Amino acid sequence: MNATLKEKQGMKSTKEEFLELLSNYQGILHKVCLVYFKNESDRKDNFQEIVYQLWRSFPKLQDKGSIGSWMYAVAINTSISMLRKNSRVDFRETIPEFSDQSTVFDKIVTDERLRLLLNAIHQLDEVDKSIMLLYLEEKRYEEIAKIIGLTKSNVGVRINRAKKQLQQHLKNH
Amino acid sequence: MENDELQKIWKSMGSEFNQKTKDELSLLLSSKVNSTIHNLLKITAISIFISIGLIVYLIITTINRPGDTLFLIDNLLLVFVTAVLLVFKFVSWYHLQTNKFNKPLNEWLKMRIDLLQKYFTGKRSNLYLVLIPVLYILLVLSIHVYFENKPFIEVIHSSESLIGLSVGVPIGLFVAFYSVRKIRKYQLKNLRFLQDLHKRINHLDES
Repeated sequence: MNATLKEKQGMKSTKEEFLELLSNYQGILHKVCLVYFKNESDRKDNFQEIVYQLWRSFPKLQDKGSIGSWMYAVAINTSISMLRKNSRVDFRETIPEFSDQSTVFDKIVTDERLRLLLNAIHQLDEVDKSIMLLYLEEKRYEEIAKIIGLTKSNVGVRINRAKKQLQQHLKNH
Repeated sequence: MENDELQKIWKSMGSEFNQKTKDELSLLLSSKVNSTIHNLLKITAISIFISIGLIVYLIITTINRPGDTLFLIDNLLLVFVTAVLLVFKFVSWYHLQTNKFNKPLNEWLKMRIDLLQKYFTGKRSNLYLVLIPVLYILLVLSIHVYFENKPFIEVIHSSESLIGLSVGVPIGLFVAFYSVRKIRKYQLKNLRFLQDLHKRINHLDES
């Protein structure tokens, strides 16, 4: 068997492994997209970009035990990067919330309080959005601190502050 | 409202995301990889085509005009600067594309800000203010002198040429600076956004 054939087979198995992983954990990507983008088409673009960035960094993933953290980190960083790259997003932020109520969105967000919660999350800044997503996903403070690159106490302060904002928003509506 | 009430609301989210099969994910990845490679090839091809086209033009016109030392110097300078800029463009483009997303947000922002600062506000970031006029004037002179079919020194001393250049150069420079300024404005806006975000991430630690 020559080297090229071996390389191709190795690459194929890596891709298979990556797709298997992605298939199992894709919910993370959908949730990150949901938190960062109001528009279905932006969410689709971002989802594809995240998949690509995950694929690029997959060979460097050494700790297979922290797949979730790796996915959140790449998804959050890519989303923030996409927010600036895509000027359409800035424009669409002025359009009433969830103007494109898609079938998929309606299927996921069936509860009115969840809809309100998502609207409230969209009003947080980019960092607090990601911290609250991780909090809502019941990640431990240590893990959130690791993904965002903050101290544990800083994470705690931010979560408490953002929680108050979200609770206030829900009370007011 | 209880503390974990928000988490309860969040959990009510249905699991019916547009779950993609492995084949769909594979297709999604392939199309993204292909479009990225396509864009890369397009940018590379256009840059190489323009730069090599210019260099070939300069070499041919220099060969066609033996004995005109000033014309030769003008063209050689242009060839040298074009080649250096082409290499520099690829190096900076490569660095900007190598985006390490698999880092903690804070660390990723710091890396990105440092890189963008180096290119857009660093020591050499204002070099374009000198390079654009110099390159533009050298190129206009080279083309003008060649098609006038007269020696370099004679052309730049003629009043017609001086009038033509004094009208054409400011207009061309205005267009060039306007375009560059637009691009830089977008890049600096991006940099400021990242700096602001980084500042907001860390302000609790600092206070």
